[in-house]
Amino acid sequence: MIKLNGTETPYRETIGELLSENHYEMKKIAVLVNGEIVKRENWPVFVLKPGDEVDVVTFVGGG
Amino acid sequence: MTYQIGGRDLRSRFFIGSGKLPSYRIIPEMVEKAGVEVITVAVRRINPETKQENIMDCIPDHCVIMVNTSGARNAGEAVRIARIGRELTGSDWIKIEVETDAKYLLPDNEETLKATEILVGEGFRVFPYISPDLVMAKKLEKAGAAAVMPLAAPIGTNKGITCAALLKPIINEIEIPVIIDAGIGRPSHAAEAMELGADAVLANTAIATSPDPVTMAVAMAKAVEAGRMAFEMGLLVEKEFADASSPLTGFLRRIE
Repeated sequence: MIKLNGTETPYRETIGELLSENHYEMKKIAVLVNGEIVKRENWPVFVLKPGDEVDVVTFVGGG
Repeated sequence: MTYQIGGRDLRSRFFIGSGKLPSYRIIPEMVEKAGVEVITVAVRRINPETKQENIMDCIPDHCVIMVNTSGARNAGEAVRIARIGRELTGSDWIKIEVETDAKYLLPDNEETLKATEILVGEGFRVFPYISPDLVMAKKLEKAGAAAVMPLAAPIGTNKGITCAALLKPIINEIEIPVIIDAGIGRPSHAAEAMELGADAVLANTAIATSPDPVTMAVAMAKAVEAGRMAFEMGLLVEKEFADASSPLTGFLRRIE
């Protein structure tokens, strides 16, 4: 399992697979694995380990 | 006339926050009509199901994006949000906002200083949001902050300049720009901040929760400009007794 934005989600081997499997639009998002940013160009090749915490974030309105 | 802040030449001294807006789609009109050049955004987790418009599609290209670390509870979290912000936008302007007090949302100045030191070291233009404390402002200046952003009153309270006696020493004693942030509820508050000598004002709630955010943004922008003009001219001192505006010679008595 992978913890995706705090929710247990079936394991996928790479960030790219995890995002497309969960229907994320790839534009204007950033991805953190265990709190560290993974650059966009590495998403297709970054190999996840079971139990990794993945956060997908974007911008929202804020003061 | 332009002025320099965070390595940029800007004209507008009125920064806006984008929280609580009825729709991101009004941002371009607001930016254009109020002449805004700096806008803040926040970073949050996104779920694929949320089909909300992305704020980045609504911010005009000429605007400087200031990423806000709101939601951070300590320096480490603020640093992480700053790095995400830069990854997403390429903007190195970061407003450090660290809060642990949910009731008054007052900033943790100590954690803010720690985050500032780290982020300045990583090449960010750091804009720390602080309680109005001259000693802390001096430490932040020494740490390399691009400006300081002392609050006028707690976030979203619309109380205005509640602590001029604490803001003025910061304006007087530090060299980096001072942006008065939070608590600005009316155009008159914005003007007062500028009359005090602030370099800029940031408002969010007062605009976003107004019945007409675009018009309120324009009103605020005008007040900021008016306050700045008055400050540059030099304000007059208050007097205890009346000082007649019209000549007081005995005109009427002479006709009798």
